[in-house]
Amino acid sequence: MTITRRDAIKTLVISVGGSSLLSACGGQVSLEALAPTPVPRFYSEHEMAVLSRVSDLLLPRTETPGALDSGVPGLLDRLMAEWANVETQADHRAALTGLTSRLETLTGGDFLGASDQVARQSLTDVDDAEFSGDQLDGYRELKGLITEVYFATEAGADERGWDPAPGRWDPCVDRS
Amino acid sequence: MAEFDAIVVGSGMSGGWSAKELTERGLKVLVLERGPEIIPERDYTDRIPPWERPNLDRISQDEIEEHYPKQYGGVAYAIKETTKHFWVKDSEHPYEEAEGTSYDWLRGYHTGGRSIMWSRQAYRLGPQDFEANEQENVGVDWPIRYDDIAPWYDHVERFAGISGSVEGLPQLPDGVFQPAFALTCGEEDFKARVEASFPGRSVIPARVAHITAATDEQKELGRSNCRVRDRCEHGCVYRAYFSSLNATLPAAERTGNLTMVHNAIVQSIDYDPGTARVTGVRVIDAETRERRTYTGRVVFLNASTIASAMILLQSTSEAFPGGLANRSDQIGRNLMDHVSGVGVSGFMSGHEDKTTFGRRPGGIYIPRYANITEHDKPYRRGFGFQGSVRPVNGPSGQTPGIGRAFKESHRAPGPWRVGLEAFGEQLPDPNNRVTLHPSARDQWGNPLAVFNVTYGDNERVMLQEARKDAIAMLEAAGCTDIRAAGLELTKPGNRIHEMGGARMGRDPATSVLNGWCQAHDIENLFVTDGSFMASAACQNPSLTYMAFSARAANYAADLMAEGAL
Repeated sequence: MTITRRDAIKTLVISVGGSSLLSACGGQVSLEALAPTPVPRFYSEHEMAVLSRVSDLLLPRTETPGALDSGVPGLLDRLMAEWANVETQADHRAALTGLTSRLETLTGGDFLGASDQVARQSLTDVDDAEFSGDQLDGYRELKGLITEVYFATEAGADERGWDPAPGRWDPCVDRS
Repeated sequence: MAEFDAIVVGSGMSGGWSAKELTERGLKVLVLERGPEIIPERDYTDRIPPWERPNLDRISQDEIEEHYPKQYGGVAYAIKETTKHFWVKDSEHPYEEAEGTSYDWLRGYHTGGRSIMWSRQAYRLGPQDFEANEQENVGVDWPIRYDDIAPWYDHVERFAGISGSVEGLPQLPDGVFQPAFALTCGEEDFKARVEASFPGRSVIPARVAHITAATDEQKELGRSNCRVRDRCEHGCVYRAYFSSLNATLPAAERTGNLTMVHNAIVQSIDYDPGTARVTGVRVIDAETRERRTYTGRVVFLNASTIASAMILLQSTSEAFPGGLANRSDQIGRNLMDHVSGVGVSGFMSGHEDKTTFGRRPGGIYIPRYANITEHDKPYRRGFGFQGSVRPVNGPSGQTPGIGRAFKESHRAPGPWRVGLEAFGEQLPDPNNRVTLHPSARDQWGNPLAVFNVTYGDNERVMLQEARKDAIAMLEAAGCTDIRAAGLELTKPGNRIHEMGGARMGRDPATSVLNGWCQAHDIENLFVTDGSFMASAACQNPSLTYMAFSARAANYAADLMAEGAL
């Protein structure tokens, strides 16, 4: 199945709005994930669409909620609008633009329109190159930020097995 | 007739103890806090889960630049969107630094002061720490010795709740401990290898002011055992770690003898030359700008090392034109902190099938060995190491992969990482000082602080050697991928262990306070925050402030009971 740009943007609206996906996946989405407005404050619609697809490829829905289920693109939009200063915003935008350009090249000029398989392969290629010495400016920071935002959501915390109140200290337990 | 038996200036780590001890002796005590009231139920943020903290709990970068450049620059790890109310805004509380110097004055103005945000490491000074100045002819001799303060360490540990292990180390005396947070299997391994390779060194569990076996007294104050959540910088609704807000102030409150006034910025202390005593303090209300004078039979200065020095320097009179109790010209001098800058890390193999449960509040401690069990060092005094050996696996873009495998890789605990950081002793130097700005004033009309503090050769050489020692210990422990950044000393003040400024000593000509933290020149004036420290030792100092405050308060109460004050 291929998705069109329009479908991609529709996905992004759902991922930002959150509630549709909440009911769709039956998972829990935090209040913060629901807080961002449906209209991006920092990203252009195209940037939001790319970011959404990258986030989904990086941290997909499995048996547990993924980045889109958790509203990660919307949280990133809010982070960039509210936390980042002008310089950080510019660096972040440049990183996203650079990644988009690389992904477009790898997908024949249409990352958003590419099939899941082709899109996944393109990001895999970027990631493989990154960790083989052919680094893309700002990619690790972008990947790190998406990852950090996801694992700071309730679903992400569950994914890591984060316990809000352990109640005891055990200095040495078996990994299971 | 005075309104109060005692006025305590400051409600933080030491002020809480002064208030507790004095009120429990039946004295009517006024505590003046320059900041607003912290109400735990309203202002602690430890119950907010990470996903309800906006924007990864980050303060906006523009806000940091405008309001928190110093505070955030100093302790970025602790100042978050949901904790920033515990830290001052630099924009509202400016200070200056002498040309070519830099100083981190990191603080919070509110009930409990920095006892809310401290790192809770709690160690006794050892006998050597009270003797070194005399033996080395550095600074002035401490007027008391370890045995004088030891019972007061017992006293404050029993009440505060210190978790720790009995080790029998003479340089780091044992105390009244609740059960320690046990070493991880990686730490047990590290300990065995380091102690085998370096027989004079010990690796022990950090001693931290966390309740692990609450006493009846602690339970009566609403305190309970640590839940091992690692939320301490947000406050603690369980009151499990010691702070004046969690422990000493409630104890003072329940006596019925405590009056607490917030937003009261002390500008000066009144002195009566006829009786050679202080009579009260002058304050300005932080919000209304109303000026008031409170009178008391005794004044305890617990405003913090820097602020207490400034209040004394601001309190000029014909009798003390250079500042109250400053005949020695030592007020504001000999500022000390601890010095770090040795970040060494590596990875340990052999425990891949193990992990930990819970997020304990401390780690390991390697007590000072330099010039104690190991000699011929190219520097004086020494340092302790704080650190940990634990699995690390944080969300990061630094690992390869995308998709399911990348996502699920975060479930597994990461490799066992060793990290060590040194805390070195800074020697007293009268040229390291804080003075009053000759003209610049804050919004309440008080002079700005001007810092002129630098490290000397001893600190630089010591930390270079500490870095080598840390690397050698990680090598001895079989660590791999050992990383040690180039030596970059922390800025003075950055460890938030301000000491000196009104040192105690035997001679009124060269020191401000006697061995009871009592001004040589003024018998009803006591200073029991970090100001009294005649040397810094290398241990985290809060426990020592507590013990000296309790001892001084009971001494003052004894004198008052005898009619001598």
